[in-house]
Amino acid sequence: MRFRFVLKLVARDWRSGELRLLLAAALVAVGAVTAISLFVDRLQQALVAEAATFLGADSVIRSSRPILDEFREAAAARGLAQVDVVSFPSMLFSDDSDDARNQLVSVKAVGSGYPLRGTVRIADEPFGRDRATDTVPALGSVWLDSRLFPALGLSLGDTVSVGYAKLRVTRVLTAEPDRRPSFLDLGPRLLMRVEDIPATKLIQPGSRVSYRLLLAGETETLADLRDSIKADLAPNYRWRNVRDSSPTIGGALDRAESFLLLGGLLAVLLGGAAVALAAHRYARRHYSHVGVLKTLGATPADILWAYVGVLLVIGIVGVLAGLVLGILVHLGIVAALATYLPVRLPWPGPDPFVVGGVTGFVCLGAFALPPLLNLRRISPMRVIRREPDRGLSNAITYGFAGVGSIGLLVWYSQSVWLMTWALAGAAVVCSSFAVVALGLLRGGRLVGMQAGSAWRLALAGLQRRRRENVAQITIFGLAIMILLILLLVRTALLDEWRSQIPQNAPNHFLINVAADEVGAVQDLLREHTDYDGSLFPMIRGRVITVNGEPARGWRAREGERGEDLGPGLGSERNLTWSDDVPGDNAVVQGDWWSADTAEALISVEVDYARGNGLRVGDMLEFDIGGLPVSARVANLRRVEWDSLQPNFFIVFSRAALAEFATTHMTSFHLEPDRKPFLNRLLAAHPTITVIEVDAIIDQVERIIDRVTRAIELILALVLGAGALVLIASIQASHETRMKEHALVRALGGTRSLIAGALAGEFAVLGAFAGIVAVLGAEITVFALQTRVFELEYEIHPWLWLAGPAVGTLLIAGVGYLGTRKLVRSPPVLVLREL
Amino acid sequence: MNNHIAAAPILRVEDVCKTVATVEGQLSILDSVSLEINVGESVAVVGASGSGKTTLLGILAGLDLPNAGDVWLDGDRVTAMPEEDRARVRGRCVGFVFQTFQLIESLTALENVMLPAELRGRSDAENDARMYLDRVGLADRLSHYPRQLSGGEQQRVAIARAFASRPKVLFADEPTGNLDTVTGGRVIELLFALNRESQTTLVLVTHDTAIADRCDRVLSLEAGRIAA
Repeated sequence: MRFRFVLKLVARDWRSGELRLLLAAALVAVGAVTAISLFVDRLQQALVAEAATFLGADSVIRSSRPILDEFREAAAARGLAQVDVVSFPSMLFSDDSDDARNQLVSVKAVGSGYPLRGTVRIADEPFGRDRATDTVPALGSVWLDSRLFPALGLSLGDTVSVGYAKLRVTRVLTAEPDRRPSFLDLGPRLLMRVEDIPATKLIQPGSRVSYRLLLAGETETLADLRDSIKADLAPNYRWRNVRDSSPTIGGALDRAESFLLLGGLLAVLLGGAAVALAAHRYARRHYSHVGVLKTLGATPADILWAYVGVLLVIGIVGVLAGLVLGILVHLGIVAALATYLPVRLPWPGPDPFVVGGVTGFVCLGAFALPPLLNLRRISPMRVIRREPDRGLSNAITYGFAGVGSIGLLVWYSQSVWLMTWALAGAAVVCSSFAVVALGLLRGGRLVGMQAGSAWRLALAGLQRRRRENVAQITIFGLAIMILLILLLVRTALLDEWRSQIPQNAPNHFLINVAADEVGAVQDLLREHTDYDGSLFPMIRGRVITVNGEPARGWRAREGERGEDLGPGLGSERNLTWSDDVPGDNAVVQGDWWSADTAEALISVEVDYARGNGLRVGDMLEFDIGGLPVSARVANLRRVEWDSLQPNFFIVFSRAALAEFATTHMTSFHLEPDRKPFLNRLLAAHPTITVIEVDAIIDQVERIIDRVTRAIELILALVLGAGALVLIASIQASHETRMKEHALVRALGGTRSLIAGALAGEFAVLGAFAGIVAVLGAEITVFALQTRVFELEYEIHPWLWLAGPAVGTLLIAGVGYLGTRKLVRSPPVLVLREL
Repeated sequence: MNNHIAAAPILRVEDVCKTVATVEGQLSILDSVSLEINVGESVAVVGASGSGKTTLLGILAGLDLPNAGDVWLDGDRVTAMPEEDRARVRGRCVGFVFQTFQLIESLTALENVMLPAELRGRSDAENDARMYLDRVGLADRLSHYPRQLSGGEQQRVAIARAFASRPKVLFADEPTGNLDTVTGGRVIELLFALNRESQTTLVLVTHDTAIADRCDRVLSLEAGRIAA
């Protein structure tokens, strides 16, 4: 058969409106997926860029040794942006007089172009309103943290001494992107130029210096660079990128991706369901058409190619139009959210368009092809004698749909768990739907016999089209289930994110508090904040041997392998002593010591102990300030790290550290408007170091806020796709309903009887769908939460009311709107049109 | 056996049996039916409801297959052919007029009549279709859709479509069954007139004896057998 004939078939079917629903379904499926993919693609790029500000770069090479020139050359050869950052602690002097005030500061020396990601913020007066800048200190000048001004009695324009260099204070530094809380990062920040370091003569062999090379550029180029210098990196240089530099951001991004992906998948499946309904309807309306064509000499092969051709044309048009629709919808989303989104979204790559296109064709192939393939089997005898049509076998219909859905699921998620559980949910729902829906329909008829005539008509209608209604309950149920799942999972995700940052969590750390200052500092904190904690003594040291064996060998032999088991045994740690179990810690093995014990005992954090193969009773030898200290493991503790309270892997008994002079540390919560308190604290205790964690928390919250908005948008798109399924499935039963109700009216049924019967039928259908949807949603959410998102699961009683209610309102509303034409039309008109 | 024989009858039926499965067991619809129809002959098949008329028509036209027996249509043994080949035979030499008109709702009168020629990829489809619609008196209804036409007009479009395929055999299944007497009369006049002009072989299923009597021969079916 000529291709021209196919085009004519398409043109004529289009003109008569037969293909519009199919095209609309394909269009919406492709459009929704493309819009989601485009938005997700650009938002993810933006989120990664935002998260990159935590590093000040896309990737960083870090070491305690100077960065090798080979690295710089390799990066330059690949066209990557790069800038050097050198950090070290130093004393800062207000001037060079003998009575100069001094303060331990954390010096950060940067090259011009710093930072590669994010911005530096500065102010013109200490604690004043800040602004972003794209410059760095000029040569010979420094920018200082607000807190240094009162501590050293400085004003802008003064000269300070850093080692042998004299540098002019030109700005107040309020934030730089890669500032992170670290106990190595001692003291308030001083930002200077890397070119001024030689003049300070501060960096000597053995100095504790952190060298970093910030890098920015394409992900692939960075990966290429990493591969090419891999051999030179180990063991002294570490490569870090956004994901591994911050577990919080990495985790948030992974979860956001999982969720957006889930949203996208659901839109595809709903679009697929709409395509399937539209294609079945199209095929059913073409049974006679095909019968006539066959009597006129069309062979089954002609029929096959004609309708595959129609589908191909619809596919091409649907995909192209869908891509355009996707672009428009996504632009609309971007415009609507402009104020919430990062200033500039990066341009999308080609992937979203490929995703949209492939999805369109896979959707049509999986959901629309089976009924159209079946058309070639239509008997030409049906034109002279009504014969029962050989319906499409369920195995083929569901087989195609299943293979297509699984294919798309695997392609998108590349997560076997996500796919397995989504499918498990679908399988459980579909089989339960069939059983429960049948039961409900049967029960409904018994009740209906006692009811008034409108209800009887409604329930008889449901019963008469039992097969179709079981299928429709499945689809409606699936749509409602998906919406419920989204709602539940979304809530769970937000709750999880929020719970990561406890309310009133400490947002400032105090370190370097001398022993004789502890009482005074504690009093000040209690007076001006809600502080009720205590100060912990702190000293640095490292484990040398375990039971007489060198620490490194011990860990290699005894330690468990795996993630999240804490740092290694031999590295230098912050140590403390305590008479009591620290605040939110809990002893899980062994016993806590009595306050007056004279024995040298230690308590070890349980994951750290597992990772290093430590058990109660082991003898550990430490090197603390060059002196050996031996102590026995008395117990293992579980620590609530999320609380942001000061916590230690290793806690000693007081007796063990009695001979050592320690400084103290603590953490507390301070509202932003009470920041000036820090001035007072530092003026009274100038040697104390304050670390502000609230800036970091702000950044995390901002990212989470944006991810949340993205999720709400995806939810709206999925809702749209769900509505399309409703419309398509109402359309699918439209002709039969028209006919039946016209007959009832011709036989004397009133308009209100028809209206009541219709509303009743859709309402019951909706309620039934709602009941099974809730069942499916609970099971699927249980699986998703426990397996994918690793959250605790609780049953949702409100859902069992909301599900059927939503189903009833939604389907009765849309259904009634979709069929009110036949209520209004005179029966004679309706009958003539059939 | 040779599928093509050079015989004078355009339609030859030998011992055709058709049974269908029902809840009460096998039901015989056609029982050893044999007949021959010659080129240009017009034959009426009559009989009561359920006598097997429509089933016979379907088998004669190659739309359906018998359980036993053979049918030769224009020299081809259609009963030995797969559906693919039977469709080609239908396309080559068969035309239909149905009781329920069977026009395609989404196509105009002109497009419906063009359809057979289009299926064969002929380029003169439109001119031919216009001519036949003019011949059945519907030149002013070319762009009307079936639902905009009366029953008589729809059947005239169907007749135009049937002859537009230039068939050697025209099968008509109760062509007036859905029409009132007057309209039915006009339609049947048109059918016979066109049949004469085209010298087509006509096989007409009807239970209207007046129409049957206008045919060259009448075959009466009773309980699946041809009555003497």
